Amino acid sequence: MMNRFNHLPTLKIDAARKIGFIYKNKKYYGVQGDTVATALYANGIRIFARSLKYHRPRGLYSLDGECSNTCMEVDNIPNVRCENTQLKEGMVIKEQNVKGSAQNDMMSFIDKMDWMMPAGFYYNTMHKPAKIWPIAMKQIRKAAGLGTLSPDFEMPGSYDEIFPNTDVCVIGGGPSGMMAAIAAAKKDLRVILMESRPSLGGFFEYRKNFHNRSLELAKEVNALENIRVFTHTSMVGAYNNNLITGFQIGKPSDVFDQRYIEIRAKSVVVATGCIERPLIFDHNEKPGVMQIGCALRLANTYGLLPGKKAVFSIGHDLGLEAALELHNLGLKIELIADIREDGQDPALLQKIEEKNIPLLKGWVACRANGRKQVKSVEVSGIDGLISKTIACDLIVASAGMTPVTGPVTIALGKLKYDAHTGFFMADKLPEKMHVTGRLLGLDDPRSIETSGTLAGLQAALDCENCSIKEIGDVKKELENLPGPTRGTKLVTAPVKGRKSFICFDEDTTIKNIKQAIEKGFDVPELIKRFTSAGTGPGQGGIPGHNLPLYVAKYQALPDISIKPTTTRPPLVPTLLSTYAGTNHIMLKTTPMDKMQREDGGIFRNIGVWQRARYFSGDFTCEKEIKNIRSNVGMLDASTLGKFRIHGPDALKALQRVFVSDMSKVQHGRMKYSAMCNDDGCVIDDGVITKLRRNDYYFTTSTGRAGQTVEWLRYHTRYDKWDFHVVNLTDAMGVINLSGPNSRKTLEKIVDIDISNEAFGFSEYKEFTIKECIPVKAMRLGFVGELSYELHVPSSYMQSVWLMLKEAGSKFNIQNFGVEAQNVLRMEKCHIILGQESEQRTNLLDVGLGFLWDRSKSDAKTIGAVALAQAESDKTRLKLVGFKMENNTRAPHDGSLIVDEKVRGYVCTARDSFSLKEAVGMALVEGPLSKIGTRLEIFEDECGDDRIYGKIVAMPFYDPEGSRMKM
Amino acid sequence: MIFKNKPLWGKKKKLKSSYDVVLIGGGLHSLATAYYLAKEHGITDIAIIEKNYIGFGGAGRNTAIVRANQRTQHNVPLYKEALDLWPVLTKELDYNLMFNNCGNLNLMHSEAAMKAARMTIATAQFHGVESHLIDAKEAKEMVPALNISENITFPIHGAMFHPPGGIVRHDAVVWGLAKGAAKKGVEIHQHTEALSIETKNNKVCSVTTSEGKINTRQVLISAGGYSAALIHDMLGIKLPISVLTIQAMVTQPLKPLLDHVVSSGAYHCYANQTLKGEIATGAHMDPWPNYTTLNTAHYIKHQAEALSEFLPCLRGVRFMRIWGGLADMTPDMAPIMDGNNQIEGFFMNCGWGYFGFKSCSAAGKYMAQFMATDQCPDIFKPFALKRYEEHRLMGETAALVNYTPDN
Repeated sequence: MMNRFNHLPTLKIDAARKIGFIYKNKKYYGVQGDTVATALYANGIRIFARSLKYHRPRGLYSLDGECSNTCMEVDNIPNVRCENTQLKEGMVIKEQNVKGSAQNDMMSFIDKMDWMMPAGFYYNTMHKPAKIWPIAMKQIRKAAGLGTLSPDFEMPGSYDEIFPNTDVCVIGGGPSGMMAAIAAAKKDLRVILMESRPSLGGFFEYRKNFHNRSLELAKEVNALENIRVFTHTSMVGAYNNNLITGFQIGKPSDVFDQRYIEIRAKSVVVATGCIERPLIFDHNEKPGVMQIGCALRLANTYGLLPGKKAVFSIGHDLGLEAALELHNLGLKIELIADIREDGQDPALLQKIEEKNIPLLKGWVACRANGRKQVKSVEVSGIDGLISKTIACDLIVASAGMTPVTGPVTIALGKLKYDAHTGFFMADKLPEKMHVTGRLLGLDDPRSIETSGTLAGLQAALDCENCSIKEIGDVKKELENLPGPTRGTKLVTAPVKGRKSFICFDEDTTIKNIKQAIEKGFDVPELIKRFTSAGTGPGQGGIPGHNLPLYVAKYQALPDISIKPTTTRPPLVPTLLSTYAGTNHIMLKTTPMDKMQREDGGIFRNIGVWQRARYFSGDFTCEKEIKNIRSNVGMLDASTLGKFRIHGPDALKALQRVFVSDMSKVQHGRMKYSAMCNDDGCVIDDGVITKLRRNDYYFTTSTGRAGQTVEWLRYHTRYDKWDFHVVNLTDAMGVINLSGPNSRKTLEKIVDIDISNEAFGFSEYKEFTIKECIPVKAMRLGFVGELSYELHVPSSYMQSVWLMLKEAGSKFNIQNFGVEAQNVLRMEKCHIILGQESEQRTNLLDVGLGFLWDRSKSDAKTIGAVALAQAESDKTRLKLVGFKMENNTRAPHDGSLIVDEKVRGYVCTARDSFSLKEAVGMALVEGPLSKIGTRLEIFEDECGDDRIYGKIVAMPFYDPEGSRMKM
Repeated sequence: MIFKNKPLWGKKKKLKSSYDVVLIGGGLHSLATAYYLAKEHGITDIAIIEKNYIGFGGAGRNTAIVRANQRTQHNVPLYKEALDLWPVLTKELDYNLMFNNCGNLNLMHSEAAMKAARMTIATAQFHGVESHLIDAKEAKEMVPALNISENITFPIHGAMFHPPGGIVRHDAVVWGLAKGAAKKGVEIHQHTEALSIETKNNKVCSVTTSEGKINTRQVLISAGGYSAALIHDMLGIKLPISVLTIQAMVTQPLKPLLDHVVSSGAYHCYANQTLKGEIATGAHMDPWPNYTTLNTAHYIKHQAEALSEFLPCLRGVRFMRIWGGLADMTPDMAPIMDGNNQIEGFFMNCGWGYFGFKSCSAAGKYMAQFMATDQCPDIFKPFALKRYEEHRLMGETAALVNYTPDN
């Protein structure tokens, strides 16, 4: 294990506290504060993984997860980016996508076959002859993919979700972000500050000279009570109206492992700073090549000297600063090759000279040598004319800075190339979003901080808590501070590019990009699709801004009008378990849910509800059905839509949506009617009664209840009618008491006369049970027997249910479920919408034409025009009843009616216990719908066998309807 | 092995002042139409006019699933032919379309869904398309990652297994068809915007583009989600189309885990594994009409919630990228393919919703026949616009749908 520095103020580790973990079946130790990757690095591991396509060795590169170089399997979870995953005691770390090990991968020979695999080679190979493709595909599938996931893997951990509101949301807890948060908070606004690393500080945190300042700022942030700080929280999405999403990784003391955070903010400040623009040269991703921030943070944050002998190839003053810091910590620096001919900070140059570190301006690394790890580097002038090779084990390489614009672009901000900084900078920002700090190209610490204050005040102005003058003052202050630094223009070192990688995750080289452009894929979006560049687990962090710069350069475009490819959320790969959060079940239950379950109800989801479908394991429901036909049973029909509509224009509204003449609805009687859509399709049916003048009560089908109020509102939106609709669906429960003994049962619990004379079929009554429970009772006959539908306030449902149960105990009253009801009503040919109707059938087709009143003059009835237009079309589907020939079994629901073509299908068919024969309803084309027509039925898996039915009159059971009227 | 790097779909050319046929839209249906016009009918003087780059719209945004297990007798034969064309096109175009014939598993979560599946399966079998109803246990054997326990929101009752379906590399189809069409002389004009269509005596006479005016006798608008707006703006023809954003996403790449396309209506979710190993997943649309292709926060969350339940091992995987595309929805989930009807020489092929990818080859083939012969092929007849006037919806979905802004 490597020695750690323990005297640096910037350290985030506690070298005294060891943490044990398993790596490749061996026990290793890291220290408190390590990431998995730094712990491995401390143990001398340099090759973490192999690349996706060529199986090239990969090591630490950025420490911020911009590529998949350190993706490993951690505790059976694949593709974990070890460089920003905190080490925990007992973690089990495995390599992935290797045959053998990452050190010795037997698949590494593929790296030498790259000549066979130019950009898009898949498209031109393996399809001739056709039969080799399935075999090749199998091999491709096996070779592709990084990690392995077991199909029975169970994700451990707990996942939470929160949905806070805030005035200002600041993304990025570096100096400018902290200043923005402070400025907004001092304006008495609620502020959320998100920082992806475990602590605040950003660009200041790991640099010797700025570390103290970052602590001061963090202290000030934490002292302000109206700033809510989320550390270790990655922002992943930005949506309309400043909806910001992210996720937080929990500390050991938190109750969650990760939590999803969705923030609604009035104003957003993006302070995400910069990453380093990868330097493109030959073998630029070999283990031993790393970016400046990575090398510096390894030392300053994790106490690890990144190498022994280093060559720097940089294009930004941070490289010079890092070289000095690392030199002072004991790293031998053989050479600093600076891309820039001039423009360096003179103070840094002087110090470098004092330390005798060789520096070449206008030079760049052009090739990393070494089989698996860096052994030496070839550096050359940026024109490639002269070069030399220097032995080293570390190449610190970076082309310069590149702003993290993801949060801006996913919020629909537009980018524009800025020639001075070489940045793609936010050009058009979305409303109430501000950018600050290094995103603007600023490098000077005072400028960064001041720009943060400015953004914080601008956000405060969005919340109307700041004066324009104050903003003007800060603007002026900022203008007097150093502006954006000139950036390097170099895109690639002078190389041919066969092994110069522009995208590490997908092994895309400069050569591949050239090939793509020559094939006509000349814009970054097409190149991305053709070469896969930027589609890997690193979310395009590595190729991001290099790709458009290179494309522009290669095509010698006069100005860089080419834009980076579209950034897509999530900006950081996010676990499904984190997105899923607490994952509530949202289905509704009726008041009878528990009691029916206790009675053995087998439940099913029906629409938004859970309902008892069966009351025994016999799914033909023989007992339930026979009980209703001969005795008495109870069904929980609470899911029915229930509405009150009242007001002077209530009748007009009803006339509009129902097809019948609703003026005929009477007090004390129930009327059955239906609603159609503009095509005449039946969308709903139900019963309605008049409670009193201008006041009606009606039911709808379970499935439509949620849309009914809106349907009425929408279709009367221009009429300015005065009426109100109240959805009582959840407020009222419904008990359907059915069977010849139902009157005798109900009699026992009511005080009024409910004889057939006093309370006849199709009538409506209101009464109270036990002088306190108000009941709306209707005599309906959906199942074809004497039947009462009792509408009871939900809170009384269980009481009434129990009373009925007791009252019916003499008859051995039974529950019945939705399936028994389905069969009972089918025997009676009462339709269920969606089961005997569909998109192609209108009111007339399903035999409900009798409901349509053509004389209505008062209101335009929805669907009436379509019904009139379609009336003469004899080819439409029609609902028919049929019996099976030779009394054979019923066909499966969904079987087809055919001749040489498909002519219709079976909606519902059952072997009827009541009728002792197979009956069913089907939708068939008009010409086939006459009584007596023989139906050829095609069942699934029937092969050449057919069964036959014959169209008969409907209904099948009790055609006179005497049983429901008894 | 030698790979010549010449432009796949021809060198950039200057737009001519006249073409026999102008196709507006550089997506799959347009490219397929051009390819078949050139190949089967010898019509090669064709300009494809694309505002962005080929495959910009739905062609490059779909999840590449192909199948022929639709609901009605009008749709099944069309999709079956499209399915049969993938191997043929791979050969003809000499371009590997990477058809992964892995089969589709459509999960059913209720008795009603099983009944609906049975009808769809019977329809498929009646038309000679393989499709079977299987129970939950059999489904689990095919997809070991499935959760067939009772204690999820929508327990799995069974599935419709459709072996002939699978996944095709969608970009390859775009580029392959472009290559094939260009080779036969079709000109593809990218970054060229069609601005208007001029008519004379109710006949098409020219198309005005950002690069100049083209005289032509025939024009097809087949521009995916943008078709309805273009057709209305250019010719004043109103279509019953609502355009909605549909989103899809992929996880980080994994070694083989899903060997079939898995989909679930109740969960509004489907998932398949790409050749690269990513789990590609998507589902229903945001229900408000728009042309933005914007992502919404709840969508990716919903997807994670759904997958967490029926493919729970995926809880350990990370989403990597989500994107949006446009679905031009008709009231009956079936397309509008029509021509020479409203205006002589004007053809349209739109309203494909989210089924445009799987049908492109067959639709292109018959549209080419339609345009070349001026006779509507029988297979297209049920898809004419007038079905809406006659209130004869096609029944591609049993449920009544309403995608308008108002409901």
